[in-house]
Amino acid sequence: MTFDLTILTHNAGAILGGFGVTLETWISGVLIGILAGLAIALLQLSCARAVSGALRAYIEVVRGTPFLIQLFFLYYGGPSVGLSLEPVTAGILGLGVYGSAYFAEVFRAGFRSIPPGQLEAGVCLGMTRWQMVHRIMLPQMLVIIVPSLCNTIIVLSKETAVLSVITVPELTGVLTGIGSLSFAFLEVLVALCLGYLTLVELTAWFGRWVERKVGHFMLR
Amino acid sequence: METLLSMLSTLPLLAGAAFATISISLVSLVFAFFLGTGICAMRFSRVAPLRWLAIAHVRFFRGVPLLVQLLMLYYLLPSFGINLSSLAAAIIAISVCSSAYVAEILRGGFLGIPPGQLEAARMLGLGGLSTLARIQVPQALRLTLPALVNEVILVIKASSLVSVVGVAELTRTAQNIAASTYKPLEIYFLVGAVYFVINILLARLGVLGERRLAKAHQS
Amino acid sequence: MNELPGTDSQPRETMIQMRNVVKRFGANEVIKGVDLEIHKSEVVCIIGPSGSGKSTLLRCMAFLAEYDAGEVFVGGELLGYTHDRNGQRVRASEPEINQVRRNVGMVFQQFNLWPHMTALGNVREALRRVRRMDKQGANAQAMKTLEKVGMAHKAQSYPVQLSGGEQQRVAIARALAMEPHIMLFDEPTSSLDPELVGEVLQVMKQLARDGMTMVVVTHEMGFAAHVADTVVFIDDGRILAQGSPEAIFQGEQHPRLQQFLQNYLERNAFWAR
Repeated sequence: MTFDLTILTHNAGAILGGFGVTLETWISGVLIGILAGLAIALLQLSCARAVSGALRAYIEVVRGTPFLIQLFFLYYGGPSVGLSLEPVTAGILGLGVYGSAYFAEVFRAGFRSIPPGQLEAGVCLGMTRWQMVHRIMLPQMLVIIVPSLCNTIIVLSKETAVLSVITVPELTGVLTGIGSLSFAFLEVLVALCLGYLTLVELTAWFGRWVERKVGHFMLR
Repeated sequence: METLLSMLSTLPLLAGAAFATISISLVSLVFAFFLGTGICAMRFSRVAPLRWLAIAHVRFFRGVPLLVQLLMLYYLLPSFGINLSSLAAAIIAISVCSSAYVAEILRGGFLGIPPGQLEAARMLGLGGLSTLARIQVPQALRLTLPALVNEVILVIKASSLVSVVGVAELTRTAQNIAASTYKPLEIYFLVGAVYFVINILLARLGVLGERRLAKAHQS
Repeated sequence: MNELPGTDSQPRETMIQMRNVVKRFGANEVIKGVDLEIHKSEVVCIIGPSGSGKSTLLRCMAFLAEYDAGEVFVGGELLGYTHDRNGQRVRASEPEINQVRRNVGMVFQQFNLWPHMTALGNVREALRRVRRMDKQGANAQAMKTLEKVGMAHKAQSYPVQLSGGEQQRVAIARALAMEPHIMLFDEPTSSLDPELVGEVLQVMKQLARDGMTMVVVTHEMGFAAHVADTVVFIDDGRILAQGSPEAIFQGEQHPRLQQFLQNYLERNAFWAR
């Protein structure tokens, strides 16, 4: 079994392009997920039973069904209701929705980790709910939830590979395409593994760095 | 609405596919549990190379997407002369991937036992094997039950990926039905619901199991 | 408090001997060259401020803390180390260590009961696995020991169903069931609510009366004053004072001991004998 690097070097442009799409969909999906997740968690804190119940159901459904099915639902089912999405757009939206459910849970756990006594103190001092969230809860939460946030971000980076199934030209899609044309599966798969392991390890390392930096200001 | 009703006629087909999904998942989980236990044991070994191997296993199989692992197994092995059926590739890929997660879950369980209990065992003269079997394993299993139940649910969801190599489980069947009925929205919704129901039931079973265990003994 | 007739002229058997023991945690020297002898049927209480190293000293006697220099002899045998072919000192294997400390029992501050076993289960576990007793024999022995600590009626209870004092008594029974020659107590009542301390001290007093050799690290000065044969005051890794309770509490005192007792006295009065 020989290892032929030229297959990869000849297609370097396409491969880097694919990596770029992976990064694009991953980062966009993560941003949408975090914003939506935070909004959901905040709404659950403050809203009427009916609304937080509906949001709870949303979270359970998104976390309880396979990501691939959700993608198919969006991409192949969308046109039936007038929603015709490009693969990349569908991919980003799918990642955003999938991520929002997980991020919402992370934020919810973060909110619950603040000792209620601190909020009682805030109420006694006449703070508004928004002030309490903004000045008391979020700053402390941030340190506690960094590991979970990092974990979810890593999970989403690996889920970008699934986007290849709906023809998004990200890393897995591009490289498996090269593989099936040239039968150079060993090289392709080594490249794939290197690509994802790099993303995952770098993100994990960055997460630990953030934990140290932010935790520096808070004694736990 | 009528389309949804017509979709219900596909239920028998989906029932068979659901059975396939559950079977594939359970078989993979059994393998993953045994393999994961072995990896966990290696992780705690006093022999450094064994520990490194375990760490490498966990980092690799948790760092590379399952889809890539699956494709690797299905497309790369033929070049080495090993031709796996899509079902075999599916089960092996899920088993090995999940074993890395199981190993970490179990490791967390063992680390969660207060070290004082092990000291008490040492002072009473209990050897390594006795301590492991009688004190560590029972408690580690109790501590890790929620995470293990979660892993079962994750595997059920992950099994949807094996549709990519043609295994006739729920997702593949859904794709086939969508292709023939031109009603993707309805069918993916329905199949999503089937997965959801399976996972809800599993979660319920998990909670019952935890309660049972907690009632009998306490921690 | 052991009345042993006619022992004034008889040298008492040394159960534990510590010679110039040093223990470091990283760069920090916690035990700085300690000499100590524990004799048969002697009750030794070790007192001192937090961070003085008293728990570490006790744990060195059990080799739960691996001392770095000096020797600890249990029953005349070197604990924790052996000599290889070149005469170099090497760490002993776990079975060798177990062999040397087979007659030493330990009671911990956090009880360390195994939560998934009943009280009886906890007490008989070592009898079954280590002594290899049969089921009936182990049960009988375990029940006898539980009776001794007053916990026979709760034999089938799980630790979570017991109060702190009850858990600690079960822990004492667990160590006692193995018929040790020496019992080490690491702050046995420090984790207990004040009203539960008494029942545990009661059990310990009875053990002392029965002639058990005991080494107790404690903050309970009353126990030290009334029950101990010898009180050892340790501060910053060194023994600064050692003697009978009278000598320690009422005699001429090392200034640091005086300070320590003064701090204690400000919160507790214990001189009523």
